[in-house]
Amino acid sequence: MDLMSEMLTTPFMQRALIGSLLLAVILGLFGVFIVPRKLGFMADGVSHASLLGIAVGLMFGGAPLLWAALVAACIGLVLAKIEDNSRLTLDSVVGIVLVGGMSSAVILMSLTSGYKPELVTYLFGSLLSISWNDIYLLIGFFVVTLFLFKLQWRTLVLTTVHGELSSVLGLPTSAAKYFLFVGTSVALIAGVKLLGVILISALLIIPFSAANQATRSLRSSLIVTECLAIGGTIAGIILSYVYDLPTGPAIALVFVALFLLCVIVGRIIPRPVLGHEHNQ
Amino acid sequence: MTSIVSNPTENIVECCDLTVVRDSKEILCEATCCVPRNSLTFLVGENGSGKTTLVKTILGLLPKHSGDITIYSEKGKNSDMVAGYVPQGITFPKQLQMTVTEYLRYSSQVKTEDIESVLSRVDFPQTHSEHTINQLSGGQQQKLLLAAELARSPEVLFLDEPLSNVDDSGEKHILDVILEIKNSGVTIVIITHDWQMVSKYADHVICLNKNFACDQQASCVCKNSLSTVNIKQIQKLTPDPETTHDGYCYIDNI
Repeated sequence: MDLMSEMLTTPFMQRALIGSLLLAVILGLFGVFIVPRKLGFMADGVSHASLLGIAVGLMFGGAPLLWAALVAACIGLVLAKIEDNSRLTLDSVVGIVLVGGMSSAVILMSLTSGYKPELVTYLFGSLLSISWNDIYLLIGFFVVTLFLFKLQWRTLVLTTVHGELSSVLGLPTSAAKYFLFVGTSVALIAGVKLLGVILISALLIIPFSAANQATRSLRSSLIVTECLAIGGTIAGIILSYVYDLPTGPAIALVFVALFLLCVIVGRIIPRPVLGHEHNQ
Repeated sequence: MTSIVSNPTENIVECCDLTVVRDSKEILCEATCCVPRNSLTFLVGENGSGKTTLVKTILGLLPKHSGDITIYSEKGKNSDMVAGYVPQGITFPKQLQMTVTEYLRYSSQVKTEDIESVLSRVDFPQTHSEHTINQLSGGQQQKLLLAAELARSPEVLFLDEPLSNVDDSGEKHILDVILEIKNSGVTIVIITHDWQMVSKYADHVICLNKNFACDQQASCVCKNSLSTVNIKQIQKLTPDPETTHDGYCYIDNI
């Protein structure tokens, strides 16, 4: 109890808990659409490549995360644009962007003199690095993103099921796609201080993947995804605080454990088996 | 852009000199055809002859290079209110757990109290309404897609090879459902390779065939890999009705 009250009254823990709550909700929602579209690798590629923005910020000044968000938004735009290009697969472009972004970042960092301790923070996340200004920015991003989700929800769901059907319905499929790609890219960067560029995709991919193992409807998988995202992030932060563990890896490992738990639960709960006798 | 005109005429869809180019390749060249209102029209032709391209262009999913497309509507002015479409071989993503009821709510904004009647219209088993869509068999998925499109009350419904994922016993069932829909006043356009089905059910045929022989404008033989079907009373033939040629054949009353 003392530990709980100590955590809740410590300013950096307050900031970490508020920030993680907002991020978990947003990235959980994006995950509902990113995972079924098999865009998980895109998330890894964008977050890794955005290291270039962080390196530019550390080298030339300015907020590294704003540079990273700019880089991520540009990559999101490009990926959304080329998604339907028949000559290039999305995975191959993500691979190129990932390699190009990370390599440029490493070269840039090697050109700067002296040790850059902040780089480790951006790679793996750190509770101490989250400021109140970060929280205010995150609240603004949270409100705008939720509003856009409300506007685009039906289109996002139906384009995930089948793109052409959504177009026939006259839905704004293109706007929804750009929102998904750019929004996810920027949301990933918003979580870099919590989990770092290496692990942030865990918060996007694992909660929905885990929920999917044990749920049987979109509504239930949405609710379970959000519960797992929020619960897993907070549990990871508490573990990190109590046992003095690195925050990003602690949260990521909690998610992996939750995923395994959901796989077991999913095997216990029987799914209705639809056989050939219904094939009419 | 497809024009929607609020003026019920004999034909619900008319295409005039329609040319469609994709990746610098001419898929359709000055195709002229129409779909009579309340008909069961079949769109036939070889693989790659442009059947799906024609339908997608009519629906506004693909851009046209030149020509005119007009849909004559009885009630609405938006293409999404007039035309329904069930694509070929649709597969629902396995990673998305969505129930049949949820799909109908999202796709056609069906109210909870109407779910039962919407499903019964296509003879979809009510007991499956809470099953996830990716668990359904091919025939059930086809019925669900039909139910969702019908719930929007389209005036014309385009079906791209509706029997391609359905087994033999399911084919007859789906066909019966399609005929019932047609009898309820919905114009149906079916893309198919099945000439037997065309011979048996068609009110009207649009043949996009790059290998057919025409005989003195009196009959047209559409050749395909499986069979040869004699089609009488040619309404319009382009570009040259006199000889065997590449082009488009538009046929009525087989």
